[in-house]
Amino acid sequence: MRLSEMLKEDNVLIGFKGTQKKDIINELIELADKSGRIRDKEEALRAVMAREEMMSTGLEHGIAIPHAKTDSVSEIVMALGISKQGIDFESVDGEPSKIFFLLLAPETAATANVKLLAQIARVTSSAEFRSRIVSADSPAEVIDIISNAE
Amino acid sequence: MDLIKPVKKILIYVDGSEECITAAQYAIVLAKNFGAELYAMYVVNESILKELLKANIFIKAEEMDYEHDLVQDGKRYLHYISELAKEKGINTEIKLEKGVVNKVVTDYIKSLDIDLVVLGELEEFTSRSDSFHDETELILRKAQCSVLIVKDPDKVEQIYNSI
Repeated sequence: MRLSEMLKEDNVLIGFKGTQKKDIINELIELADKSGRIRDKEEALRAVMAREEMMSTGLEHGIAIPHAKTDSVSEIVMALGISKQGIDFESVDGEPSKIFFLLLAPETAATANVKLLAQIARVTSSAEFRSRIVSADSPAEVIDIISNAE
Repeated sequence: MDLIKPVKKILIYVDGSEECITAAQYAIVLAKNFGAELYAMYVVNESILKELLKANIFIKAEEMDYEHDLVQDGKRYLHYISELAKEKGINTEIKLEKGVVNKVVTDYIKSLDIDLVVLGELEEFTSRSDSFHDETELILRKAQCSVLIVKDPDKVEQIYNSI
């Protein structure tokens, strides 16, 4: 399962409306729900926020990977949001986050879930990838960049 | 001179994908035809969990939680495959382990003197990095016995249903 196959153009956003962590996660959940596979968006938000409360998923180099296991989905759903300016997501290096991968998975999809998280970690470890994706002008271009990086 | 049985022990590598179920169906057909013993193995990928912990994507409690989920995933897949085999009158020896997947699987192959490993179709990849991390491909390269990659799920299902 490749990231570029999981993500459709509808699940990619360039530019968020909100500026707070909860708003960003809400926008990502709305984006992921365009695939129509989230049964309960409030439950999805609660699960992601519960994980954020344990420790922020804002990583180094402007990457954030909010994720959760939740019964609100019956299969893995993803969304990707990009903020060119960056947003405070309580990242580990204190830098604003620019690339946000949301991943929601049911408990019964652990193997695929873990593989996808590892794939995100691998593609985002490239500085060139991060720079190209933040400069992308359209969801189609974003998916193309991911596809080439995989 | 007596004919040497070409395949006595078949191992299905179970990785929690749809492709490994197709591989299992084909392996069951082969086991029935060859009169071979059938084994199925799932390995909890501890390397990937450590990688996610190191990358700060997981916190320690989460790593343990996901490890538990992977064990459950493995049990579900192994149970499902042993039921598929049972439907065809074949007994399956199932094994669930933890560790570096390709090493655990190749060690198991050696210890049981497996003659054929059956794998699901490889994921498409375009980079060296993917190739390095694809455990199925690593097993294909490192196994010391013959390896069969099973493709065409529709055809395999037909064959499985026919026996």
